[in-house]
Amino acid sequence: MATRLMFENSCEVGVFSKLTNAFCLVAIGGSESFYSTFEAELADVIPVVKTSIGGNRIIGRLCVGNKNGLLLPHTTTDQELQHLRNSLPDQVVVQRIEERLSALGNCIACNDHVALAHTDLDRETEEIIADVLGVEVFRQTIAGNILVGSYCSFSNRGGLVHPHTSIEDLDELSTLLQVPLVAGTVNRGSEVIGAGLTVNDWTAFCGSDTTATELSVIESVFKLREAQPNAIVDEMRKSLIDSYV
Amino acid sequence: MVQYNFKKITVVPNGKDIVDIILSRTQRQTPTVVHKGYSITRLRQFYMRKVKYTQQNFFEKLSTIIDEFPRLDDIHPFYGDLLHVLYNKDHYKLALGQINTARNLISKIAKDYVKLLKYGDSLYRCKSLKVAALGRMCTVVKRIGPSLAYLEQIRQHMARLPSIDPNTRTILICGYPNVGKSSFMNKITRADVDVQPYAFTTKSLFVGHTDYKYLRYQVIDTPGILDRPFEDRNIIEMCSITALAHLRSAVLFFLDISGSCGYSIAQQAALFHSIKSLFMNKPLIIVCNKTDLQSLDGISEEDKKLVMEMKAEAMKTVMGQGGEVGDDEGVLLTMSTLNEEGVAAVKNAACERLLNQRVELKMKTKKINDCLNRFHVAIPKPRDQKERPPCIPQAVLEAKAKQAAEKERRKTEKDLEDENGGAGVYSASLKKNYILANEEWKDDVMPEILDGHNVYDFVDPDILLRLEELEREEGLREEEEEDDDFEMDGKELTPEEKEALAEIRKKKSLLIQQHRIKKSTAESRPSVPRKFDKDKKFTTKRMGRQLSSLGLDPSMAIDRARSKSRGRKRERSVDRGDKDNGDAMDMDMDQPNKKLRLRSMSRPRSRSRSRPPSEVAPGEGFKDSAQKVKAIKLGKKSVKKRNKDARRGEADRVIPTLKPKHLFSGKRSIGKTDRR
Repeated sequence: MATRLMFENSCEVGVFSKLTNAFCLVAIGGSESFYSTFEAELADVIPVVKTSIGGNRIIGRLCVGNKNGLLLPHTTTDQELQHLRNSLPDQVVVQRIEERLSALGNCIACNDHVALAHTDLDRETEEIIADVLGVEVFRQTIAGNILVGSYCSFSNRGGLVHPHTSIEDLDELSTLLQVPLVAGTVNRGSEVIGAGLTVNDWTAFCGSDTTATELSVIESVFKLREAQPNAIVDEMRKSLIDSYV
Repeated sequence: MVQYNFKKITVVPNGKDIVDIILSRTQRQTPTVVHKGYSITRLRQFYMRKVKYTQQNFFEKLSTIIDEFPRLDDIHPFYGDLLHVLYNKDHYKLALGQINTARNLISKIAKDYVKLLKYGDSLYRCKSLKVAALGRMCTVVKRIGPSLAYLEQIRQHMARLPSIDPNTRTILICGYPNVGKSSFMNKITRADVDVQPYAFTTKSLFVGHTDYKYLRYQVIDTPGILDRPFEDRNIIEMCSITALAHLRSAVLFFLDISGSCGYSIAQQAALFHSIKSLFMNKPLIIVCNKTDLQSLDGISEEDKKLVMEMKAEAMKTVMGQGGEVGDDEGVLLTMSTLNEEGVAAVKNAACERLLNQRVELKMKTKKINDCLNRFHVAIPKPRDQKERPPCIPQAVLEAKAKQAAEKERRKTEKDLEDENGGAGVYSASLKKNYILANEEWKDDVMPEILDGHNVYDFVDPDILLRLEELEREEGLREEEEEDDDFEMDGKELTPEEKEALAEIRKKKSLLIQQHRIKKSTAESRPSVPRKFDKDKKFTTKRMGRQLSSLGLDPSMAIDRARSKSRGRKRERSVDRGDKDNGDAMDMDMDQPNKKLRLRSMSRPRSRSRSRPPSEVAPGEGFKDSAQKVKAIKLGKKSVKKRNKDARRGEADRVIPTLKPKHLFSGKRSIGKTDRR
């Protein structure tokens, strides 16, 4: 089930939040409405934690995590690290890493089994990702963009990638990630999927600008309702053709 | 895509207003003071400027009107025809044409009068010419007053036209008056169209929007059409005809089978056949409305025949689009807007057929190739045997099951915030949801720095253990490396390899040696660094002594060492004091600067010795030199702090006013500049 929301008049909700199957991080905002949207949806199941990273609110772009662990950039302060360790369950390993590319969320995209990484990432970082998050790491680009975390978003059940990804690339990525993939947009045509959308295995949050067509693509590819990814080629095909062309 | 928005046209003032606006602007924005004593060129200039400025303003004002009103030939034919129907194209073009003519006339007048002004020989004549020019311009504008008034009316009407996008998905509702078009519109969209039980309730086009399959459809409600010759139709009917003729849309032809609208089925069928040419290449649906009064099966035989004829006609449009012959689904539908029977079915059929048609057309375009990847779902091929299951907590599944039964709302942070003073006042505790072994630890304060140590560095309880482990590991690795080195020299290398290795090592050591030499002699730094010369033993004097004991002249070496060891000062031109002994032309003198040596040395006038500051000169007002010294000391002390802070003092140069008004204002051309 996908929810549309806004963070202080910005539709880039993926920037201000990080959602995984074991926890959810939310930026500290001026009011509680953004946090409460997540809280109402998730707090019965997983911890929803308000935090900043290195004093920044763009936490979704700075950190990366899944049900096994959470990686934080070197800019994270000791207090924030402490706060996160206190707030997250013990099964989630919280680790701060020394990596030159400190916007980890932009450089890495992962689910619980596989991760895509920026091509210039350190070898050590790659090992840490594999160890802490328990994933296989592939260095990849998406439609020629090296910021894989910005231009795609995937869970264990499906994924959405940059709209200019060619069919061959889609098939290759899909085989790497072992989930069905679709090229698409969020927030009324925005290409930065990772910024506009945050998703886990049973729920998704996207910006308020997301159109009904985009939302239905999201719900079917991430299998959030009964809809299956094939719906995109079957019943939604005509609507998609009419809206894109 | 061109957006049609006629709401942004600026207001067209009437003739009198334009004249007032322009003349007052001329008065305000051109110079007003003139004297007959001015030179004649200046007078001419003064009035020419007024004439030109007025013309320019008229030109701008009229140009905006001409530019902002749409040209009927350039906009979408639907709007072109609609505007023609509503305002009459000829009249509209005439009005704009008049304005254009007025604009040209004004330009011509201005040109003529500027030419005449060149021959004006007095202030009075120039002024008269200006008055005449402005007067004629105003007359021209007053004469186009009616056109301006007409355009203003049109502007107001156009601003209220519905914003119809001619290129989007459109459903058009048409039929006789009073057959239920507007009620259907009210049912499927949120538009609130007036519905009344008399003909021509709807007098213009209305737009509403509806959703079908994630897409938005524009629904246009048209006024009713009567079956009469094209020329006899009134403006209201012509709106409908225009929309039918120009919009690529799905058409719903409404048929009142009960006849309660006042027209028989035969009359309605006649209308259908007379306007069927407008339905070409459009998905057409015949909707039999008001089934609550009369069911389709209950009508008489000849009426039924008429309906079937219409259906056959409608089928032709289906076939024209390449549909199957036997496919008569969604061509003839029945519904009742009163009890909402079949309303949804009609909407869905219309949307579906329109969508199919549009998709079919779009599939033929080239643009589809750019988007093909977006209609593709990449299904993964298994690459290994590993299972990658989704991870959904049991609680979610349970919640989903429970959701159906009853929805229990959780008290969220937002509710708490609202209860406690709203955003900005309420501050939520970050520690509230900590997961700790003991609940009571939640609010414990953790110091950041304790005893001069960052606490977080010691948070890891087994850090020492791990450090030890790491060190041990490193030791092991080092040992291994040593072993490796030992093995390198070992015997498993072939003789050639050994030779190569020796060669490499030799070269490497050579390189290192060279580098060291280079480094040590770099820039010939003093070999004994100052910090090792604490008791100042290594002086130039000592070097001189040692060198002369060896029988060498130490002067050059000493000079060199001195110039190296101290920072280079700005060199003076040839030093006066040194050259006093007359041999100024002696070139063998070792001078530090080559350039100086090359220049011939003239002897400057010697300066008389200056008086020491403490000496009292007559008239200075000091009793004796001691008093003067004291005074100087006091003076220095008083400015010491200020100078230290680099603050401005009374002795600094001050320009009180950078541009004094009296030196930079006033007229310059006639009159004296030197007296200002």
